[in-house]
Amino acid sequence: MQNAKDTFYTMLQSRLAAVNPSRTIVVRGTVRPGLLVEENELPSAPPPTDCFRLCWTKLQLVSTSPLPLVAMECSIAYATAGSAGNAAMDRGRMLAAMDGELFAALSVEPRSAPKLNYSGAGVGVAPTALSTSVFWADPVFGPVIVNEERLERTATVQVYAYREAGEL
Amino acid sequence: MSDPVSVTPAARAADTLLRSCGGRQMLLRMPAPAIAGDLTEQLGIATPRFQNIPLAPVVFRKARAVVSEVRPARWELLVSATAVQGVVTSLGYASASVLFHDAAGVLLDDELLEITSATAEQVFGQPYAYRLVLVAPVADKN
Repeated sequence: MQNAKDTFYTMLQSRLAAVNPSRTIVVRGTVRPGLLVEENELPSAPPPTDCFRLCWTKLQLVSTSPLPLVAMECSIAYATAGSAGNAAMDRGRMLAAMDGELFAALSVEPRSAPKLNYSGAGVGVAPTALSTSVFWADPVFGPVIVNEERLERTATVQVYAYREAGEL
Repeated sequence: MSDPVSVTPAARAADTLLRSCGGRQMLLRMPAPAIAGDLTEQLGIATPRFQNIPLAPVVFRKARAVVSEVRPARWELLVSATAVQGVVTSLGYASASVLFHDAAGVLLDDELLEITSATAEQVFGQPYAYRLVLVAPVADKN
């Protein structure tokens, strides 16, 4: 289901960038929109703040028809320590802003995206379009966790995709 | 040719001490900068190239690792501030903390150790050595 995972990530990255273009992160010297997939990056401790960290947690086969439907749980963690200019007293507002950005990106219609295969893609080479789509449910926001000066939250989204013939 | 790295007397004394304590060399494994707009790196399809940068003199703060049943083996390494500042300058990093944060680990005797913390040891605000806390690779933790 790697194609579904890649498609969901690229969809969410472009939508989050459209909602708030100024939310960016620097990864190995390069500025990117503020979303990353933890399993695709070098280990980093502590995890970066003021960006969204995507992690795939659960996988379930929903139907075993010739075109099996697979449900995957996507966990999106984010944290903020507020801004130094405001002595971190705005950390609640900054977390609320991130809540709003994530909700806006996932709730805007359509709640589906054509599934793409990125295995042969590269700089200047577009991904290959597949036959089915990736679609997702409403996000479920977890409680705020206070970790010293940081406010942290994890939202989970159920992502669904059909496993096409020949797909791993 | 002038040396772009300023060496404080404390750093010079620390270097001498590190060498006299059997100072050795370590390799700092640095990933190459990400390629702007390359989605394959973000998706884990392409992996960055790495370069191993020698740093010397360095010594283990204790000869034996700190070992417990529930945590991986932990070492502390003292690294010459002179050597670190040279790498920070040559690679164009903003500071030593950014350098160690971006590093993928430390190669010692062909084993890649993860850097869990890097602290500057200072005199009058000038670092004379860096203390790195290293843990065993992920595959060896269990």
